[in-house]
Amino acid sequence: MSSSYGTFSTRQEERRKRTVPDRVLIRRVYNYAKAHKRNLAIGLSATVAGAISGLGSPYMHAIAIDRIISPKNLSGFIWWIPLFVVIILGNYLFQYIQTYQMRIVGEKVVAKMRDDMMEKLQVISLRYFSEGEAGRIISRPTNDANTVRIFLRVGLTSILVDVSSILGAFAIMFYLDLRLSLLAITVLPVAIVLVWFLGRFSRAAYRRTLVTTSGLTARMQEDLAGIKVTQAYAREKEAEEKFSKSQHENVKATIRAILISSSYTPFVIGLRLVGTMIILFYGVNAVLTGTITLGVLVAFTEYQFAYFMPLVDLVTMYDQYQSAMSAIERMFDLIDTKVEISDAPPERSVAIQ
Amino acid sequence: MSIAKPLLDYAKSLRPQKGLTQSVSAFKRLMKYHRKYSSFVVVIVVLAVLRSILFSIEPLYTTFIIINVIGPPSNTSLLGGYLLVIILAGIGFTITNFVLLFTQGVMSQYIVRDIRTDYYRSLQGKSFSFYDSMAVGDLTSRATVDLQLVDMFLRTWLGTVLNAVFTAIIIVAIILPISPTMTLIAMATMPLIFYVTTRLWIDTMPLFRNMQLIIGRLTSYIQQNIIGMKTIRIFRREKDVVDGFKEVESIYVNTAISAGKIQSKYMPLGPSILTLGIVLVYVYAGYTLGIPGSALAVAQVGNIILFARYMMRLTFPIRDVSQTLGTWIAAYAGLERVLEITDAPRNVEDLPNARDIKIEKGKLELENVTFGYVKDRPVLDNVTFTVEPGEKIAILGATGSGKSSLIYLIPRFYNIQQGSIKIDGKDVREFKLASLRKQIGVVLQDVFLFSGTLKENIAFGKPDASIDEIVQAAKLARIHEFIESLPTGYDTAVGERGITLSGGQKQRITIARALVSNPRILIMDDSLSFVDAKTEQEIQSAIEEAAKTRTTLIIAQRFSTIKTADKILVLESGSVAEFGTHEELLAKSGVYKRVYETQFVQKTSPVLEKAGDV
Repeated sequence: MSSSYGTFSTRQEERRKRTVPDRVLIRRVYNYAKAHKRNLAIGLSATVAGAISGLGSPYMHAIAIDRIISPKNLSGFIWWIPLFVVIILGNYLFQYIQTYQMRIVGEKVVAKMRDDMMEKLQVISLRYFSEGEAGRIISRPTNDANTVRIFLRVGLTSILVDVSSILGAFAIMFYLDLRLSLLAITVLPVAIVLVWFLGRFSRAAYRRTLVTTSGLTARMQEDLAGIKVTQAYAREKEAEEKFSKSQHENVKATIRAILISSSYTPFVIGLRLVGTMIILFYGVNAVLTGTITLGVLVAFTEYQFAYFMPLVDLVTMYDQYQSAMSAIERMFDLIDTKVEISDAPPERSVAIQ
Repeated sequence: MSIAKPLLDYAKSLRPQKGLTQSVSAFKRLMKYHRKYSSFVVVIVVLAVLRSILFSIEPLYTTFIIINVIGPPSNTSLLGGYLLVIILAGIGFTITNFVLLFTQGVMSQYIVRDIRTDYYRSLQGKSFSFYDSMAVGDLTSRATVDLQLVDMFLRTWLGTVLNAVFTAIIIVAIILPISPTMTLIAMATMPLIFYVTTRLWIDTMPLFRNMQLIIGRLTSYIQQNIIGMKTIRIFRREKDVVDGFKEVESIYVNTAISAGKIQSKYMPLGPSILTLGIVLVYVYAGYTLGIPGSALAVAQVGNIILFARYMMRLTFPIRDVSQTLGTWIAAYAGLERVLEITDAPRNVEDLPNARDIKIEKGKLELENVTFGYVKDRPVLDNVTFTVEPGEKIAILGATGSGKSSLIYLIPRFYNIQQGSIKIDGKDVREFKLASLRKQIGVVLQDVFLFSGTLKENIAFGKPDASIDEIVQAAKLARIHEFIESLPTGYDTAVGERGITLSGGQKQRITIARALVSNPRILIMDDSLSFVDAKTEQEIQSAIEEAAKTRTTLIIAQRFSTIKTADKILVLESGSVAEFGTHEELLAKSGVYKRVYETQFVQKTSPVLEKAGDV
């Protein structure tokens, strides 16, 4: 929910339909990222490696319990301890590289886009700066750039981490036990439908808050622009009353949006517990009949934890992704603006006598 | 000099040390805002305890299942009961968590509203000096963008912190009786994790603060660039603007990357250390439990699993806390920017003994008035003059001679430093501000109309004015006919969604606005110089009418205004150079005569004379 409702972005701006397909926008952003190919490649590989190494942990628990501690086969620690430590350190190292490299790429790409926008601003026709239009233009190198910056910093890596975690967890679960895996993922469709459904409500409620927020912003701007008049006529109290009415509208709309967004996580964690229950119900019998070991059962409950959270994260990331794409589109819109009057080439320039 | 030089110097001057103490005091301020909602806080604390307990049930019952159901001896009849507890705890957790998140969200909205209200209220009381130095865009973005960051923090922080604390306490409470030694080993890494988290906070906080401050300035730099684009094009400073921008931007990017480096170093460290702690638990358990050489009892294995799973549960609260610290870093820089304005002094305030005083006649006396925007640099120096009730005074002077400052001192838009201003013999500081300002009609230099109808705009100073009063004022201001010619008359909307008015029309509406309450004293900053002859004539006629029955001070650009004035006041670099009637001053052969001859007689007098005759 952390997209920025800008100071200047007006209603139409938020509601405007996107026309450029995502893949075109992504390709163009990638063109900017190309300058930092090395950082990008290292960062992306580290992201995937980090997510997968993170998944090694529950499996190592299962091994420790089943093969070393339970049977009291302590010599196993000789290889288990170094291996686990390597996995943990590797995981740490990958996360470090990922966060650092992706930060470099994100910051530099947005900076370059912003520089390009600034350069373009200096040459495009002055009619873009006419009254009313200025606000929209200002929000591109500021609010929009910030939205994209946040997305590239947090959103993009989370999406990668989430996808790798989910796929990795599935792979390991299916490797450990096919039947139990199938049972474990039965709650998955329910969770996805639920989150998607809530997401739709949440987006609608969120859009309403955009309207009330921009109303509040407009009120504030006008009040401040006319503050000298208000003071000259001692109308401060009335202005305050009007403002608090705008605030009230905004608070009401936001609380409604919060009501919906607050239900996301609890419901999903609740469903996860249902999943755990199913695993335990069938898993206990499987352990008793000797189909799986105790360690595998415990690992299953942990893997279920490991893929469920990223999944929720991924679904909620959708909003962030959408607003980042709109912001990117608006930024390119400015960068692509045609220059109507360009300087004459030097050989044709005329000296004014 | 480069256009971006001040910004660049600012970005370079930012030193990282200050962040931490500032952050602590900002946090204290935020806590004060929570005080009003202590009942919310209590509910959140209670729910957080409940939520932590319900969250900790599943691993415990899973262990019960391992020990008692799987066995040996295995006893599958118990399974249903245990699973029921797990699912009930799950439902309880869902509800508790939902109510908690929602309560927290509602509280955050109330607190943000309170902060914004305080901010807005403080803005209403700021003097003109404050607004002379601040940009509207910047002030608005503090109340929106910056407060949004505070909102993000408020929505999660309390629950997250409580969750970490309570979950840790409850987990320790459960595992301690099972094995004190193993608990000690499991928790051994906690101080280290605490250290890492604190380190992350201390090291990145100042950098993020700098980033926030730079981005704030950068935004207004872009705004100014866009608003002043015409000027930049005319003087061909485009390259300068962009180069300066790039330089500041690169400082920003470098700061962001160093902050990123620290974050990437410390952020994944906490969970990794915790996992290493699990290794210790396994090794300890492996070597101490059971008899060497033979398999462990299921109960013992179950307990080890319980320890390991609880520790893994702790990684989430730890991760959440360091994320919340991240939101705080952004929030506090935003909060700092808001409070900086809220806390700025008001400058002009009611004195303790101020009261409502009615202005009966409108006599005005200025005695040794000295005033400056900056101390020791007076804009007005020792100004003394008296205006009798009903007199019309035209004020003349070069740009920067202190004309506007002088008339704006009367309704106390600024405070004088020395001397006194009296109305009907009473010092303006004896008046309540509202009482004083409501009785003085003001036409500001900047012709600003609020979005709304023409009627509302004219009646701005007297919302309960009858339609007759409004029409009367509009007639005096020579705008009535124009308004009547509009299809919707006085109900026509102006502003963003309404009609566009010319500068001259706007000015006459602001004159009507000043006249609607029929003030005894009228001050006008008439600096609208570049208008066509017809408009000029209409405005002139409006001013004539308006000034007829009241004490009027007018900053004049037009000769006709000056000629019809009772007296003329000539200001020269903050002092009264000459004061008297047109004839008196001409006879003096001083500044006025010189100005009169060079500016009015030769160039524009035919038009102006004609206008004045109307």
